[in-house]
Amino acid sequence: MSETRETLPAQKAWMSVAQKVGIPLASVVLAIIVGSVIMWTSGYDPVAAFAALFKGSFGGPKQIGDTLLRSTPLILTGLALAYGFRANLFNIGAEGQLFMGGLAVAWLGVAVTGLPWIIMVPMLLLASMLAGAAWAFVPAILKARVGAHEVITTMMFSYIARYIVSWLVVGPLKAPGQIPQTVALPTGAQLPRIQTLFGESTLDALPFLNLGRTHLGIVVALVAALFVWFILKYTTLGYENRAVGFNPWASETGGISVQWTTVKALCISGAFAGLAGAVEVMGVHYRIFDQFSSGFGFTGIAVALLAKNHPLGVIPAAILFGGLTAGAGTMQLEAGVPQKIILIIQALVIFFVAAEEIFKWFIKRRQKEALSHAG
Amino acid sequence: MLGDIITPDLFASALRMATPLALAAIGGTICERSGVVNIALEGMMLVGAFFGTVITLATGNAWLGIIAAVVSGVAVSAIHAFASINLRSDQVVSGTAINILALGVTGFMMERLYGHPGTTDPTGTLGPVFKFAMSDDGFFGTIWNWINGIFLSHTPIVYMAIIIAIVAQWAMFRTRWGLHLRALGEHPRAVDTVGVSVIRGRWIAVLMSGGLAGLAGANLTLEQVGSFTENMTNGRGFIALAANIFGHWTPVGSYLASLLFGFADALQIKLQIFRGEINIPPQFFLMLPYVLTVVVLAGVIGRAVGPAAVGKPYEKE
Repeated sequence: MSETRETLPAQKAWMSVAQKVGIPLASVVLAIIVGSVIMWTSGYDPVAAFAALFKGSFGGPKQIGDTLLRSTPLILTGLALAYGFRANLFNIGAEGQLFMGGLAVAWLGVAVTGLPWIIMVPMLLLASMLAGAAWAFVPAILKARVGAHEVITTMMFSYIARYIVSWLVVGPLKAPGQIPQTVALPTGAQLPRIQTLFGESTLDALPFLNLGRTHLGIVVALVAALFVWFILKYTTLGYENRAVGFNPWASETGGISVQWTTVKALCISGAFAGLAGAVEVMGVHYRIFDQFSSGFGFTGIAVALLAKNHPLGVIPAAILFGGLTAGAGTMQLEAGVPQKIILIIQALVIFFVAAEEIFKWFIKRRQKEALSHAG
Repeated sequence: MLGDIITPDLFASALRMATPLALAAIGGTICERSGVVNIALEGMMLVGAFFGTVITLATGNAWLGIIAAVVSGVAVSAIHAFASINLRSDQVVSGTAINILALGVTGFMMERLYGHPGTTDPTGTLGPVFKFAMSDDGFFGTIWNWINGIFLSHTPIVYMAIIIAIVAQWAMFRTRWGLHLRALGEHPRAVDTVGVSVIRGRWIAVLMSGGLAGLAGANLTLEQVGSFTENMTNGRGFIALAANIFGHWTPVGSYLASLLFGFADALQIKLQIFRGEINIPPQFFLMLPYVLTVVVLAGVIGRAVGPAAVGKPYEKE
């Protein structure tokens, strides 16, 4: 026992460097290579495509702003998925909780008046988290009590959420006019753009602050990532979450209620997905409508897997996928490649991250080769 | 009004709506019985629906389209088989990747081939297999009209699904293949010990589920809708998985469970016609199959137990 304890840290340190960073990086590179082959065989120029993609996502402060804009909800849905994965739960229906979070904010932000910004905004963010958690509650209970697989139930709840929103925006919550959407939030309930926080002279002096449409939600997302990291690492809640994910039987024996931990984990996951809906409504659209999320809940799956479910790893993973989304338009415009290639690359990244064995097999073979050469 | 709702047409529509769910659910049953979870049914169905349409548009022959749908479903399932059996990836994650890949590939190829996103040109739909005349003489005429309307008015894949359910049920419980398949999902080590390859057995099961999901997609485009629209499967793959559970992991059970979901779908379509009188927003009808899925799962699980080794990659010692 003591021996394994001594050898573990050294091994773990090596593994964490190779696997936590190396495999995700290699997966992205492989996905880009396979994506290029697909483009090339379809008659497009992959070099021109990726050049345009890069230009559209990181080419200047405005483009970086666009990337951060898309990364903001992705950090939050990525956290939602990662937190669930840590308890061995797959919240595939994060999109539905995101819709409910956005709906809560779009409704309360207009219905509640007279509160100062500093109270209104935190209240709305909290409301979105409660709405997201509430939407995950029934699947969570069903998982804990009868074992109904959360992949099916959260997915079904996600369809139900979308129909509820699409009913409300043509029915009770419809704004006056032709377009099916809710009334716009007042300024006092919005997350302002970063660049509006600085004066003209500051922006002239520091042009990199001119981040286009990026809004305060990015700060919310970064704080949330730190918060989840803290929960997982330093609190009993996080410890129980990880323990149940690692070995439910041992946890139960050790006095942790697996059922209760499952419910908490899926609801907390839902809360962060709900928060993603809030930042989209409060920072981008100021209202809710049918198509207000471009699949952020689903992209969150790829974000979490690429981050190996590490809450801080979620940040660069979200920026990568945010960049792909932000640059897709420029890519289609300049290289003519359909934007859907982004989905293909996203799927490939998930494949390669999940298929660690490819890399392990490769490493083993290299080691064997090295050995045989040495011999 | 009840007489307007409960017509032969309603039950015929239930059979039609149940068909893609049933085919995918039977695929899911075979796959899970072998020990491999397949949440990629959704993506395989979508790919089948797409390539069925593409080939039909290119050749003008819907039967070639159906073959293309099955072949493309099998091809996509090979990726799932390789990832989850050979590379021992997490099967649910691999399935998710395939679902996203299917959305991406169909959308990408649609723009590449037709130059626009959204919906393809119409392919037309396959006609019914039988064409019997309606009768108008008295009591027996009415009975004949009901039988004719409900059972004899369908397109080929609807009948194929019924035959497949019965044949699969027989094969799963009465043949050597079925015995091995069920053992693969319960105790793969035992199967390995008697000299049957776990890898091979699971590969065949996954490929079969891909072919059935592809056929389900063909039914959707070539028999029901008559064109392909992006993401048109709309969660049917997930509902099919629920039907498989509700049917206790048996082909005929899966078919009957799909009939329930098909009936819910047929009923909501029918009720929408009476929207003026019922005065409930259409979105609530559209929700019905999804709500029913959750209710069914909540009620049935705990009493239905799946294969013991499902979801666990097999590693030879």
